[in-house]
Amino acid sequence: MSRRAQIIPPRVELMRKAINATKGIDLKLTPETVHQMEQVVHRSRDKFVNDIAARLAVMRGSLERLDAPGQRPVLDELYQHSLAIKGAGGTIGFDLLTLIGKSLNDFVAGQTRLDKRQVAVVSLHIDALYTVLANNVSGPGGAVEAAVIEAFDEVNERFKMARPSDSRGT
Amino acid sequence: MPEKIDFSTISFLIVDSNPLSIELVRDILGMLGATATRSAMTVDRARKMLRRDPADIVITEHHLEPEDGLVLIDWIRNAAESPDRMTPVIMLTANSEQSYVTQARDIGVTEFLAKPFNVESLYRRLVSVIARPRSFVNAEDYFGPDRRRRQVLRGGTDRRSGER
Repeated sequence: MSRRAQIIPPRVELMRKAINATKGIDLKLTPETVHQMEQVVHRSRDKFVNDIAARLAVMRGSLERLDAPGQRPVLDELYQHSLAIKGAGGTIGFDLLTLIGKSLNDFVAGQTRLDKRQVAVVSLHIDALYTVLANNVSGPGGAVEAAVIEAFDEVNERFKMARPSDSRGT
Repeated sequence: MPEKIDFSTISFLIVDSNPLSIELVRDILGMLGATATRSAMTVDRARKMLRRDPADIVITEHHLEPEDGLVLIDWIRNAAESPDRMTPVIMLTANSEQSYVTQARDIGVTEFLAKPFNVESLYRRLVSVIARPRSFVNAEDYFGPDRRRRQVLRGGTDRRSGER
């Protein structure tokens, strides 16, 4: 027979030692604090942009290795880098990098082998990411960008339907 | 007088395989006043650091290798050698789809924040774990924060009990 669940009251030690009336940051976030935190993110922007550019260069190299047998390590690389770009883009104001990074990440997740058409799709994603970065397109972009994302989504859906099952990326 | 959080009294462990992500979170915490912030790039390293010196709050990615962030949360919540099973854990991850949120919740995460994130969302998660701690549930198949967000007093039977 199952035992009853025990409810343990909230622990308040952290609250007791950190919450006070005189020192620290207001519990209710003020515009000044938001601004200061955003400045921190802004200062890291160049580092993230350089990191994403380096990842794109590696991904471009990875594509050439996709012709060789044993694609799994290359696909793992593409998965890792696209996930990193998906996570970083929007944080530093490049929402489009996140959207395209997510599309690419979804596309390679669970894949063990890509045919030529699928390699071309990956290549298009990388081209698009390069374009966004090179043209410094911050935010979600406009109508053209939305159409590109929609097209990528459609491609993703089509190939997903043709795929037997995903083993990664739930 | 408005209540304040003195972040200098709180210790953090950031677990992420991306050094830039670690640096960004550390810089934000530093701006808030945190002075005791450590980092690890693998779950194994995080476990060693926590065994040696526990942290008040753990902030972890989901996507880590060879073991992922869920393994770390499971260790914190359930391992005999866990230094503090009730440590607040914020999962800050690019694996943001609903299935990952559910997995994290079911293994005992305290807060979940998707990357890309904005600073206000991160701050809200920090406030939540510091100023609004949650009850814990110790059940046969789960140890972690109460997954019911709203604390509603109910009559009738205990839904978590097997004795229905």
